[in-house]
Amino acid sequence: MADCCFVLLREPFSDTIHTMKNALVIKKKICLIGSFAVGKTSLIEQFVYNRFDETYLTTIGVKISQKILPPVEDHQCGRTIQHTFLIWDIAGIEKFDHMALNYFRGASGALAVADLTRRETIEELHKYCESFLTVNSTADLVIIGNKIDIFHEDQHIISDLRKVAEHYSTDFLLTSAKSGEYVDHAFLMLSKKIGNIS
Amino acid sequence: MNEHLKRLLEVKQIGIMTFDRDWTVVEIDQVAKTILATVEQSMSDRRLSAIFPELIGSESYIEEILDKKNNDLRLDYINRPDLNGNLKFLNLMILPSDRPNCGSLVLEDVTERALALQQINQQKYELFLYRHNSEFRRRFLSDSILGDSQAIRDLRETIHKVSRIPTTTVLLMGETGSGKNLAARVIHYSSMPADAPFVEINCAALPEHLLESELFGYEKGAFTHAVAQRQGLLEEAKGGTIFLDEIGELPINMQAKLLHVLETKKFRRLGSNQTIDVRSRIISATNRDLQHEVNRKNFREDLFYRLNVVSIRLAPLREMGDDIITIATHLLKIFNIEFKKMVNGFSDDAKQAMLNYSWPGNVRELSNCLERTMIFIEKDQIDAQDLIFFQSPSPQILPANQNWTVPSNGIVLEDVERQLIMSALTLARNNKSKAARLLGLTRDTLRYRLEKYQLE
Repeated sequence: MADCCFVLLREPFSDTIHTMKNALVIKKKICLIGSFAVGKTSLIEQFVYNRFDETYLTTIGVKISQKILPPVEDHQCGRTIQHTFLIWDIAGIEKFDHMALNYFRGASGALAVADLTRRETIEELHKYCESFLTVNSTADLVIIGNKIDIFHEDQHIISDLRKVAEHYSTDFLLTSAKSGEYVDHAFLMLSKKIGNIS
Repeated sequence: MNEHLKRLLEVKQIGIMTFDRDWTVVEIDQVAKTILATVEQSMSDRRLSAIFPELIGSESYIEEILDKKNNDLRLDYINRPDLNGNLKFLNLMILPSDRPNCGSLVLEDVTERALALQQINQQKYELFLYRHNSEFRRRFLSDSILGDSQAIRDLRETIHKVSRIPTTTVLLMGETGSGKNLAARVIHYSSMPADAPFVEINCAALPEHLLESELFGYEKGAFTHAVAQRQGLLEEAKGGTIFLDEIGELPINMQAKLLHVLETKKFRRLGSNQTIDVRSRIISATNRDLQHEVNRKNFREDLFYRLNVVSIRLAPLREMGDDIITIATHLLKIFNIEFKKMVNGFSDDAKQAMLNYSWPGNVRELSNCLERTMIFIEKDQIDAQDLIFFQSPSPQILPANQNWTVPSNGIVLEDVERQLIMSALTLARNNKSKAARLLGLTRDTLRYRLEKYQLE
């Protein structure tokens, strides 16, 4: 069965699906989760707008960005598919109460982001991932180690990141929101996992 | 909804939108319209998901609210740009509606609250990062070196490189007041853990025998007054930085001892035969031309080369062009806070005057100049004539044996006093505080005399 149909059947409410001329438009909600100042906003800015700002400004609440991917032909469906990401930039949460979990509701996947220069942010990924999966038990995760541009290769940190990825049976990727290194890869890796793009 | 509740929501600026099971907005009140207008949200498409894409993904949950199986759905601090590109923050809440098969969306503009929260979080997180993250500290401290001239950019770049190697010895050279102390601190805090010690010693301020015991420490009984063992500064700086300010003033005997420490990376407390390893970075600073002092045999050549592993020259203020205005503007902000004033900037003449002045005392002199100006100013802009570039000469103390003679036809003392006060006011351009200083009086005493002579 084609990916697009699979998605449609699997989670009818988590995606907005409608036709645009002949194209099938699939909107997916994905979240960026992780501790404060790990670079969630910068990753989105780089992926959506190809820009980076050195100044750190903490996010309050949630900001949605939209990224429309180029249409692709799905030969099995015989349709053109227009994928759109609704990307939720969620502030580093300190208290995972009912209200905070509402931010995660209905997401198809998440990039769980840690700062490679702050080891504690890797440990903190667990509480973010657990809370996210509480609300979206079938959603997919990709673990991200950000700030590779200022990371002095440390095998302990890589090993920590790998362990988190293994724990959630997923992959991890090292990125730099500043240079743009592997940022697109991260989002594409997640979208492949959630069955958005074949 | 009853009228009282409607009125209450209106007063509290809380808007209500009612939508049906197809997610089409069927009713919207004036407050909600106003809030949406500020975030440029057109109502041409009345689908709730078009107005609030934030609700996408929560369809089934909202369906359950309409069926009254769930109480509510809250989304706080939704970020939206307003018409000027600034961020607005909205709180959304979905509730069951009195109207059958409908739901209510409660909407509130919480921008002020969100910005206050953002400010608090920003400070909290920056403080945390400053303490725990050396990369953040490096960037943060680098920003504390103000300016964009080539000299400043080069300085930032060099400091950034030096900070990456926490053991390198650094020599800072520059005129007095050019920021050597700040540069030393930036290097230290950028390269060391936040709790690593920064030990500063002014080589010109201590006599030679004290300098030695301060630096190396001593054992009990090492000399007459050594009643207990004491750690020296070299030991206290373990794992951090020792900053030797005014190294050019170091006595020649001490130069030999310091050279030995630098060569062996070891030292001994006075009166001890046990060596202690030096485990700190040494940064020294001088306003002298050390090469010249070497030529004049005032400074040991071998020590000069030991200290001069990486040398950083701090440019004098007069070479920094427009950065003078950047620094002055920064200082103005500080003095506005300190003196509770609202001076909002410099006139073009004042800027030109600052750019033309040679600033022999560099940033320290600029700071003093602006502090003096800010004490006296009572306008919202600093003009050239408000800037006091030189310390006002001290009031002339008349010699005790100065002979003042009374003319043979006599004199009215009060007339003399009145004339002197008028002269001082003219000199001080009617600034009473300045005039009082010229006369060696307090401002209150001068005010009393102005009233007495009806000079107000």
